[in-house]
Amino acid sequence: MAPEGSFFVDSFLLSVSVRYSLIPRSFSSCDSIRLGLEMSKPSIAALRALIEQRFPDATPLTGGAQTTEQVATGIGALDRVLPNGGLPRGRLSVWAPQGGATAILRASCHSVVANGERSAWVDGDNTVAGAFWLDDHGLYLVRPKSRIHALRAAEELLRSGGFSLLVLAGAEPQGTETVRLTRAAREGGAALISIGSAASMASLRLTSRLLCYGWRRSPFGDPAEAQNVTIRVDARAVGWHAHVEFPIPVTQHELRLSLESELADRRGLPR
Amino acid sequence: MSYVCLWSPSWPTGADFPADLVASLLTHAPRVAVGERNLVWGDARGLHGGQLAEHMLRVAGDYGFEDAHAGVAMTPVAAEVAATQSTTQLVIVKLGQDRQFIAPYPLRVLSPSGELSALLQGLGIETCGALANLDAEAIEVRLGLDGVRLWQRARADDERWLFKLPLRSLPSASVEWVEYGLKDPERLLFVINSLAGTVCTSLVERGERAREMALVFALGNRTQRTHVIRSSRPSAEQKRWMRLVREALDTITLPDAVMGVTLRVESVTGSGGAQGDLFDRGFASAPAVEDAVIQLTDDQGDVVVMPENSGHPLLEQRTKWTARTSRASRSTISQPQPALTLQLLPSPKVVTVDTESRRDHEVPVRYLDGNEWHDIVEAAGPDRVSGGQWSSSYAREYFRCVREDGMMVWLFRGSQQQTKDWFLHGWWD
Repeated sequence: MAPEGSFFVDSFLLSVSVRYSLIPRSFSSCDSIRLGLEMSKPSIAALRALIEQRFPDATPLTGGAQTTEQVATGIGALDRVLPNGGLPRGRLSVWAPQGGATAILRASCHSVVANGERSAWVDGDNTVAGAFWLDDHGLYLVRPKSRIHALRAAEELLRSGGFSLLVLAGAEPQGTETVRLTRAAREGGAALISIGSAASMASLRLTSRLLCYGWRRSPFGDPAEAQNVTIRVDARAVGWHAHVEFPIPVTQHELRLSLESELADRRGLPR
Repeated sequence: MSYVCLWSPSWPTGADFPADLVASLLTHAPRVAVGERNLVWGDARGLHGGQLAEHMLRVAGDYGFEDAHAGVAMTPVAAEVAATQSTTQLVIVKLGQDRQFIAPYPLRVLSPSGELSALLQGLGIETCGALANLDAEAIEVRLGLDGVRLWQRARADDERWLFKLPLRSLPSASVEWVEYGLKDPERLLFVINSLAGTVCTSLVERGERAREMALVFALGNRTQRTHVIRSSRPSAEQKRWMRLVREALDTITLPDAVMGVTLRVESVTGSGGAQGDLFDRGFASAPAVEDAVIQLTDDQGDVVVMPENSGHPLLEQRTKWTARTSRASRSTISQPQPALTLQLLPSPKVVTVDTESRRDHEVPVRYLDGNEWHDIVEAAGPDRVSGGQWSSSYAREYFRCVREDGMMVWLFRGSQQQTKDWFLHGWWD
């Protein structure tokens, strides 16, 4: 469940850059490098003292300054393995479609809405089943007619600046399309997640795999109903590689049978 | 109380009526009208009638009409009778008592025509109450249309429109030139952009959004061409209307040079949107989102959708996608939990399936999708669905199959023709 390897120094440096926003103008990139080098023996107290000594005008930020940079997925186990605890705002993240991406990202969309923000799901290949779509007033579902329309819709929504998270499914951007979408995400400040495999401009690459299912068995020992599945998510970014495994339930599809709503029609097919 | 009637026996008649008296009355009443016999009417709808009448009497007193009388009632006829027939300076007719109030007064207070008055006198009908008690059909047969109107007034059934409704003007802007004819579309757009700015600013100031605008070209051949531009959703955004104008201009062919352009709003709606929540972190960006959705709708049709689910046995026919409205679901899922959910292919895809026997049925063991075989490690089913015997019948055996890479897919066998074709219908993701 924990990140692979120790990235204490990197994450601490990032934390410093976020928390100290009023760095004087005299602060230069050379200072930044020197500061990083001097942190070879990291100590929070020592570093704080050093910063206060060198930048007396800097004011430490408190509160949610860091949360404005990430969009938490709302899944604690996953947030812990993502860089800075969430999906990066204003950046492109790519999630390889190997199972479970939709489940997690859809929950993330609802989590964003629960936090009072908006999210959008661009269903490029029109695979969302309406019967399983949870209607949420801050979650916008877009069902475009074609891949190009999906990309245009994503760009339009990203540029509006009103969304914190936009998931682009079934319409993988290529080449200059990726550049345009990335620029729109940066302008609008939204976390853009593309479900696909082209990760050339992605700041965060995620993959997920469905490992093993928990079945309810029939009296004959046959699998009758999948109840849950363990999912493994790998997160990769520059200097970052972590993974997590956690179980999620499997939504049961409701077979509505025509003759009697409560009873299954077992007449079957001719053989 | 709706109407205040002000009257004085010493009112001057005709042109001598003091026009500035009406102007002074307007400082108290929102609308004032001078009617027949120099009766002055004040619109008390939504106001306290008694107070308004007192103010109007005071103004009349300031102009030297100390003997002015005022009547306040829900109907003009009762207010008129109260003002002109009562001996007290101010009479307020109780709510709903208009008919009873005028009942004891003689018929002449309703100003019947001489012929009608003589006829009624001959019938022995002298008071408003006596006339009001008669049957409508009897009045119509014996006294005709004028009699019916008088009968209605006697029943305090008076629907006179004393105050004209102000004409509702919609924003418009125009520009004309005579020295040259404009043929360059870019210059035309430049002009229209300026007009759109004026119109949209006016709309914003009025708190309205336009649903439809008309673009009128005055042409060099002294004709006019009008093009109506409609927006899928009402808007007061200049940028948005210009985009629609630009699209419209792409399809317009004008027979002559343009000598003038008018952009006028044809229909508007109020700016009533969904109530915002100040504690909503997305509150500030709501208009931007709404505009983005509008633009999407204009470009691609109703692509921002929400599902309307029925109870149809087949999943692909269960959902009807409808355009998302601003008054869509206000629910919020408080603790969202991820769950593997069924995704559906737009239409079931034919696949080749190898099966093996399991007791009394066959279960899939691998399937060919495109050029790739997928081995199946677990298969649950069959779930049998059949129906549609009275329309298009169907019968299917569904299997939930876990592939070796962990994906769970939804396969079914059967078709409308009851063949043994296998289909890939969806997957869990």
